Amino acid sequence: MRMNSADGIPQGTPPTGLDGLLMHPAIWRGRSLAPIDTHATGCARLDEALPGRGWPATGLTEILTRRPGLGELRLLVPWLVALGRTQPPRWVSWISPPFEPYAPALVAEGVPAERQLVIRTDRPLWALEQTLDSGACCLALAWPDAGAPQGRSRVRPRDLRRLQLITQRHRAPAFLFRPLEAAGEASPAELRMSFEPQPSGARLQLLKSRGGRREPFELRWDEWPRSGSRGDDMRQEPTHGAP
Amino acid sequence: MARRERVASTRRAFTARGTALGTAQPLALPVGVPGVRGPSPPGAPPPDLPPPLESLFDTAPESWLALQGVAVADLERLAQLAIGFSPRVSLEPDAVLLEVRGSFRLFGGARALCAQVLARCREAGLAPRWSLAPTPLAALALSRAGRGVAVLARDRLVGALAPLPIAVLGWPPAALARLESIGVRTLGAAQRLPRAGFARRFGPAAMADLDRLTGLCPEPRRAHVPRERFRARCDPAFEADTAAVVLREVEPLLVEFEEFLRSRQCGVDLLMLRLSHRARDAQHGRAAIPPHTQLDLRLAASEHRAAAFAALLTEHLARTVLPAPVIRLELRSGRLRPVVAGSAALWRPGEHGGGLARESPALIERLRARLGHDAVYGLCLVPQHRPEAAWRVAEPALPSASRVTATPAHPGSVRRPLWLLREPAPLPWPFTALQRLEGPERLETGWWDGLDIARDYYIACEPSGAEVWVYRERLAPHAWWLHGVFG
Repeated sequence: MRMNSADGIPQGTPPTGLDGLLMHPAIWRGRSLAPIDTHATGCARLDEALPGRGWPATGLTEILTRRPGLGELRLLVPWLVALGRTQPPRWVSWISPPFEPYAPALVAEGVPAERQLVIRTDRPLWALEQTLDSGACCLALAWPDAGAPQGRSRVRPRDLRRLQLITQRHRAPAFLFRPLEAAGEASPAELRMSFEPQPSGARLQLLKSRGGRREPFELRWDEWPRSGSRGDDMRQEPTHGAP
Repeated sequence: MARRERVASTRRAFTARGTALGTAQPLALPVGVPGVRGPSPPGAPPPDLPPPLESLFDTAPESWLALQGVAVADLERLAQLAIGFSPRVSLEPDAVLLEVRGSFRLFGGARALCAQVLARCREAGLAPRWSLAPTPLAALALSRAGRGVAVLARDRLVGALAPLPIAVLGWPPAALARLESIGVRTLGAAQRLPRAGFARRFGPAAMADLDRLTGLCPEPRRAHVPRERFRARCDPAFEADTAAVVLREVEPLLVEFEEFLRSRQCGVDLLMLRLSHRARDAQHGRAAIPPHTQLDLRLAASEHRAAAFAALLTEHLARTVLPAPVIRLELRSGRLRPVVAGSAALWRPGEHGGGLARESPALIERLRARLGHDAVYGLCLVPQHRPEAAWRVAEPALPSASRVTATPAHPGSVRRPLWLLREPAPLPWPFTALQRLEGPERLETGWWDGLDIARDYYIACEPSGAEVWVYRERLAPHAWWLHGVFG
C-alpha cells in the first residue's frame, strides 16, 4: 500500500524519535496527521480532498446517498479496475446490491466480470463479515440497509464497530452504501461522506474523516478518468510494502 | 435338489468360504437363510452347458472367461457382478474378462462355475455371450464368434480356434481384405502361414496377436478396480430431536469418513446425510411424517477434513426443520476424487497479498450453506445485443493467476449503465421531467428465442441529477421504461 501523510510531509527522510513513532498508521491522535494506507481515487483533485489522499485501504468507508444508484458507484470504478489486475486474483464482493451489477458496463470500464461475486441475502452484515474474514475478497461493497423500511437503517453502531475491527484485523477495505438518514447515527467508520448528484457532477460532503476535514467537494465527471483507458495513469500498487 | 439351483453370487460368500476349501466335500451351507448363497456342490454341472474341452496331460495355468454382447452401459455392472467370482476381472471395450482358474474348486468345476456366472447374469437381467479359454484373447475371440465353449487345455485350444473367422480379432478392414485375397478366412489358416512372411506382410502387431491367441506370448491385463463409496450409518441410543444432537451423532461418522478418505488420498465434493424418522401417515388430523430427511452437501472443491464437513452440516442443519425425532443417520459419499495437497501460506489470507487458493471455495461453500445455492453467483458476459441477454449469472470461479483478463469488449463505443434493473420498471418520473443527454440508440429483434424487442434507448438526467437509462417501446402504446441506472 502507498503511504501518504495528510499534511504532505516530505517522504524523503523518515522522522526519528517520538515523531517517528507517532507516524505509525495504527496510532490516531484526534486531529493528528498520521499517515494511513490509501488507494488513489483516480482523480487528483478528489485525492487532495480526502485524508491520506485516497480511499482508505483498510477499514470501513460509508457513502450516504438519498437512494441507491445516484452515481456513487462510479467513484469506485477506477479502484475496481486496479483491483482487477492484482495477482493472485481475489473477489470483489457485492453484498445485496440494489440492482444487478451490469457486466457489459463493468467490462467496458475495464473491470473483469469474473472477479465479481454477488451475494443476495437478507442478512448482509453476516455475509460481509464472512467475506472479510475469509480473506478471499480484496474489496467488499455492501448495501446493508436494503429492504429496510424507508427512513430506517438496519445497522446498529455495535455491528459497525465489529465490522470495523474485522477490517482492521484483515487489513481489508469495505464500503457501506447507506441512506442519508444514517448520517445522524454514530459510526466507527474511517471515512463517512454524503453523496449528492448534481448536473454532470456530484457534491461530496465529508461527515467524518481522520484529520477532521469537513469541507464539501464539488466533483465534475469530466475530470474523472475516461472509461476504458481508466487506470492506466493510476499509480501502480505494489503487492507488498505495507508497514 | 434345491441346492443345485443355488448360485454363488456375493463376494461375501466367496471370501467367507474361501478358507475352508481343502477338501472336495460338498460344503455345508446354511439352509433357509435368505440372501446367503453358497457355491453349488461339485460334480453337478447343469445339463445345458457343453462339456469342457479337457486334456489328460495338459492344463493351462489360467482360464479366462469372456462375457460379451451386453450394452456398453451395462459393462461396469457386469464387471461388478464378475468380481463375486474372481478377484481378477478386467474390463474390455466390449467385454468383461475374468480369470477363473483359481475359483474352479470353490464353485465346483469349470462347467458349474460358468453356469453359475450365467445364472447370476440372468438374475441381473443380462444375457452375455460367453466362452472360456486359456488366454484372454482366445476367450474374446471365441465369445465374439458366439461359441459358448469352455476350453481348459492349451492343446485343445488351437483346434477350437481354427474354424473361427479371422474377423473376430478385430483387425483393420484393409488387412482382412488382403488376407481374404490370399484365401485366408479362418484363424487356423492364418496360423498355418509361415511366420516370417506373415510378420513381414501384416506387421509384427498382427503376428503378436496370433501368438497371444494361443498363449505363445503372455498377455497381462489391467485389473478392474470397482468404484468406491463411503457409506456408514448409526442408530443413536436416543431419538435425536435437535440439530445439535444430530450433529453430535454424526461426528464419529465424519471422523471415520475422514480416515477413509485420508487412507485413499481422496476427497469428495458431494456428501449425503439421510436422517430417518419413524414414519407416520396422516391421521387424526396430524400431518404425515416423511420416512426420512435428506441433506445433500455440495462442495465447491473436493474436501476431506471432518471439521469442514461438520461446519457445513451445522449450517445445513440450522436451515432444516426436522419433522420428527431422528432414529437413524446414514452418511453416504459421492464419487471419490483425488486430492492434490498444497502447502499452507505463510501469511494469513489478505495479509501482504497472501494466497487464497483454498479460502475462495470455502467462502462460497459457507455462504451457500447458509443463504442457499442461488444467492451467491458470479457475472459472465454474453455476446448479445439485447441488454438483458448481454450478461448472465455464472458459477463463481476465479480465473487462474496466469490468465490475462479484463479486455474491454468495445471501449468507448456505447455507454452502458453500471446497474441494470432485473425487470424494466415503469418510469417513476413524468416523462417531461427527464433531460435527454444521449440517444436514441435503437435496439431491436430477438425473434430466434421469442424475446423480441423494439426499443429506443436514451441516456437521460432525472430531476435530482442522476443519470438513468430509459427506453421507449417502438410498438404501441409507446410506453417509457426505466432499465438502468448509471450508479
